[in-house]
Amino acid sequence: MSEKTVHRRSAAPATRPETSGKALELRGVRKTFHTAQGPFEAVAGIDLSVGTGEIVAFLGPNGAGKTTSIDMMLGLTAPTSGTVSVFGKSPRAAVEAGEISAVLQTGGLLRDLTVRETVTAIAALHGAKDRIEEVMERTNLGALARRKVSKCSGGEQQRLKFALALLPDPRLLILDEPTAGMDVSARHGFWETMREDALQGRTVLFATHYLEEAQDFAERTVLIGSGRILADGPTTELRGMTGGRTVGATLPADLAIEPALAALKSLPRVTSVQIQGNRVSVTGPESDAAAMMLLTELGAADLEITTPTLETAFMALTEEH
Amino acid sequence: MNATYVRIELFRQSRDIGNIMFMVFMPVVMYVLFGNMFGGGGADAGNGNVKFYIMASMAAYGAAVATTSIAGTAATESMLGWGRQIALTPMKPAGFVASKVSVAMIVAAVSAAAVYIIGIATGAQADAPWVWWSSYLIIVLGAGIFALYGMGVGLSFKSETAIGVASSGMVFFAFFGNVFLPLSGTLLEIARFTPMYGYAGLARYPLMEGAMANGRDSTDSLWMLVANLVAWTLIFAGLALWAVRRTRARQ
Repeated sequence: MSEKTVHRRSAAPATRPETSGKALELRGVRKTFHTAQGPFEAVAGIDLSVGTGEIVAFLGPNGAGKTTSIDMMLGLTAPTSGTVSVFGKSPRAAVEAGEISAVLQTGGLLRDLTVRETVTAIAALHGAKDRIEEVMERTNLGALARRKVSKCSGGEQQRLKFALALLPDPRLLILDEPTAGMDVSARHGFWETMREDALQGRTVLFATHYLEEAQDFAERTVLIGSGRILADGPTTELRGMTGGRTVGATLPADLAIEPALAALKSLPRVTSVQIQGNRVSVTGPESDAAAMMLLTELGAADLEITTPTLETAFMALTEEH
Repeated sequence: MNATYVRIELFRQSRDIGNIMFMVFMPVVMYVLFGNMFGGGGADAGNGNVKFYIMASMAAYGAAVATTSIAGTAATESMLGWGRQIALTPMKPAGFVASKVSVAMIVAAVSAAAVYIIGIATGAQADAPWVWWSSYLIIVLGAGIFALYGMGVGLSFKSETAIGVASSGMVFFAFFGNVFLPLSGTLLEIARFTPMYGYAGLARYPLMEGAMANGRDSTDSLWMLVANLVAWTLIFAGLALWAVRRTRARQ
């Protein structure tokens, strides 16, 4: 982790001297599409710098501009303005050098090829046929080698796409919602493989709209909404970025309500305390303190801690601007 | 272009049995039907016999249909996002087009060879071996322009029906290209400007040297046939380029 502070988009991004440790750099990147309804700005000015070895979550709801940004990082689309560089090169040059690779969100596979044929075809284009066995083993595709892509489950297809992305042995790996459409166990299996791999010093940037994925796998989270970066910082401070958690509990019937509420309000960084009957809910970034007080001092029961949905977090963040 | 990629693509295409029947067996069957239906197949025609004339026509048709159909699969691939997957490899768009055209021409070569082998077995005759070789080579190489046509139409429509549209167009081209039955009069005058006329005329040139099958209508000059082929190559190449740019802009 290179940055310890959460800086909002309004603050100027920290400019650091050019170092060789930069995997990805976007400066003033914008992308406008011309649609039947007039021009649509999918990406409205993004500045982003990712250092070598970082694992970054690109978190945002659907339509936030994640896929368009990723397309520009990979040279699939040219930005309308601004620059993108990957290890100091143009994205296309980095793709040709095998330094950047990606698991794309949807499609990208031919249904009538077998798993092995797919891997072999892409490996041949990378000039990396010697890596076929290693990659298939690492992504557990051995048993599926002779199966047609059309007969593979969504999770298996995603693993195959992950294998294709590993073929050039990239230094920077980009994953665009890699677990979309997977069930919970498939999602865990995927991330386990991913984590083992990422530990080998790769830089990873993944797009997701699951808050938990960012929390579980990324050291740094970039929040994106409406084509802009809303917040960028260590994932551990994500709670602060997204407005904290809510602790709910039922107070004992014989407890004096007013002093209890006052005590909860006095806790550090609590943003709101609400009561309905004798069910109390406390919102703030430091849920542990509230939970502790509720369970011990106040003798409350039925404790429940909920994280805000991404949508509520986004509404809160966009209202600030 | 990449040999392993072309090989895998070729295997993939060859597993589509329905398509292979369409591209290889149909021209063979058509040759057998047309070549023997009316009798008189053994009669002299130019530097060979009538069966050779029909064999060359049907092989040209089959080869052109094969390249159209194979190149048209680029449309389906593009819809499946395979183009984006390829864009993450060092292969350039020109390499993709070249690989596709190579696969299309290999299948065309097989399709035309099947017709020629049946032709040899059933009495197609030419005065000299060069008539066989030159017409076969013209058929295989010339079929490449219909790969451009297939890719252009396929990517313009960008749907599963695109290949069907492109293939149906081929039936009209073949009819007006003087491929199915000899045209004459006004129809022939119009036909001389259609896409398959130059290709089919050149495929039969070693045999007929431009003369018409009925011996009455005016003889085609070599340069006129070549001009037709070149003009349509440019038109189809333009269409294919336009279609490729259009799909890119849409991303």
